[in-house]
Amino acid sequence: MNEVYRKWGSVVRYENGVTISVEEAGEATEVNGVFEARPMGAQTRVSVPHGSLLVPQTLQTASYVAQTLLSVHSCTIERLIISAGVSRHETNGVTWTEESQRVHLSLVKGQLRVLIDLASFDIDAVRSAASALALAGDAREAPHRIRLAPNVAAALLPSLVGEIAIEQYGGGFDGKGQAIETRAVTDDPPPNWYRPSYAIRPRRAWLNLRALPFGSIDKSAPVAVALLGPVTGTTLDVLCVDGNEVFPIALDAQRIAAVSREEPVWYPYAAGSFGAEMML
Amino acid sequence: MTPTDPTSSFFAIVSRDESWTSGAMTDSRQMHGVARQNGNSIEAVDARDERLAHLCAGALESARASVSALREARVRMRVRATREGEAELVETTIIVGIDGLSIVTTPEDVHRDYELLMGLAGSKQSTKAGRLPIVWRNGSAAVLLHEAIGHANEHGAAAVAWPSWLSVDTPIALRRETFRDLPLPRMTHLIARQSGAPFALPDERIDVQLVAGGGYDPLTDAVTIDVAVSTAGPFTIRCTRAQIAASLVGASGDPVRYPGVICSREGQALYVASHAPLMVTGALL
Repeated sequence: MNEVYRKWGSVVRYENGVTISVEEAGEATEVNGVFEARPMGAQTRVSVPHGSLLVPQTLQTASYVAQTLLSVHSCTIERLIISAGVSRHETNGVTWTEESQRVHLSLVKGQLRVLIDLASFDIDAVRSAASALALAGDAREAPHRIRLAPNVAAALLPSLVGEIAIEQYGGGFDGKGQAIETRAVTDDPPPNWYRPSYAIRPRRAWLNLRALPFGSIDKSAPVAVALLGPVTGTTLDVLCVDGNEVFPIALDAQRIAAVSREEPVWYPYAAGSFGAEMML
Repeated sequence: MTPTDPTSSFFAIVSRDESWTSGAMTDSRQMHGVARQNGNSIEAVDARDERLAHLCAGALESARASVSALREARVRMRVRATREGEAELVETTIIVGIDGLSIVTTPEDVHRDYELLMGLAGSKQSTKAGRLPIVWRNGSAAVLLHEAIGHANEHGAAAVAWPSWLSVDTPIALRRETFRDLPLPRMTHLIARQSGAPFALPDERIDVQLVAGGGYDPLTDAVTIDVAVSTAGPFTIRCTRAQIAASLVGASGDPVRYPGVICSREGQALYVASHAPLMVTGALL
């Protein structure tokens, strides 16, 4: 089978004080198990208005950078990467266009590091994480009952496959141009393909995970508001807010007692993960 | 946050990357592009520099020839032809993997390092892991110092008192993996030398032969080293730079080329040639 995948893209990225604009295009094939990827040249068959989109992308990014810098002045920025991009994909007779925004922020105060990953230019999420970090005290034992904020739950969700009911949320196309349909996540091979770059061999994956709501959330319970490090399995290091107190805790989040019915938010973890409040 | 030096610059790259298993190619990737920096702004596009493309293709042919006999291994070759300002560089790295172990080498050393890897793949654990002195063989101390000195320097970490007999040459330059990337202050190589160091081989010890990876966290000043092959089997070391400096008790001989360090920072993987003499540390487990 000789399916050709082509991608044209432009992105504006702010990275630690420098703005980088990238335009490129490439194609990939897989013939008899051999995967080959090569550039096509950004000017080749470009049929999306990349040039006209670069200006608003640059302005959006610059505006969000300024807001972020103002919002986190109580902490030290260790890493700040903000990007806005547009890409056009073509494979198996299907063509589609995607726009994306990404934020990666690492904030430091004392010996604590908060990691923030967003798929939108959400300044409130940055402000609340920075405020919590600024108030953080010494580490404590994890409370018996605790909520996970949507951003924390989204990072954990890929590790909960098989532990709670999760669906693949439908919409859009996968890395082989197949429609992404809403399906229950099971032990069976995923029906769709994840291709984050034209230069990466696509692999089967459950896309856009979404936990099905159940149980009830105790809104009076302390809440884990931010990640203090990458999630390892179901082990989390998080910043916990309990009333006026903020402190780091370590959690084993294997047993989920409830998932909120509120509308979840999409986060760029694994092959896409929706975050909704959870209760341990 | 350390902004990159806001200077004007031009960077061009052509790279080829191939993976081979049992003598058959499984993956082939080409990449090319140029980046022009003006102050704090970089414009990058996937243009192709024909001279670099020619140099890259030639080096890839040589690399293929050098690994054609390695049919029992998984082989990944990467050739990067770059131009930074007026300076051109062609760099070929070869990753050879057997039974979950891997080394990073060059066409010149690939057969010698392959033999080393074959020997290590069959090695057996002979010591129980515990608080024993560690002897760093095959230049593997270069990885320990890569994390504890090289990366710490990149981050401008506070000075630590290293033994007076140890000198480490680890120049830092602005480097980037691709035309899409921000150039960052990175090590170009690391060569550790000893001069008049004490040396005594402990009777009870762990001999480290191959390291799988490592890391340095500038926030905690902590170094992590994942040992892949040792007489105590695989294990992980986590300690501060000060603890590592205090643990260095001896060294012997000239620097030995360690078979490979692919250094990944901020998502950019770069080859760092690494050399260190036979070294002895106290217990770090």
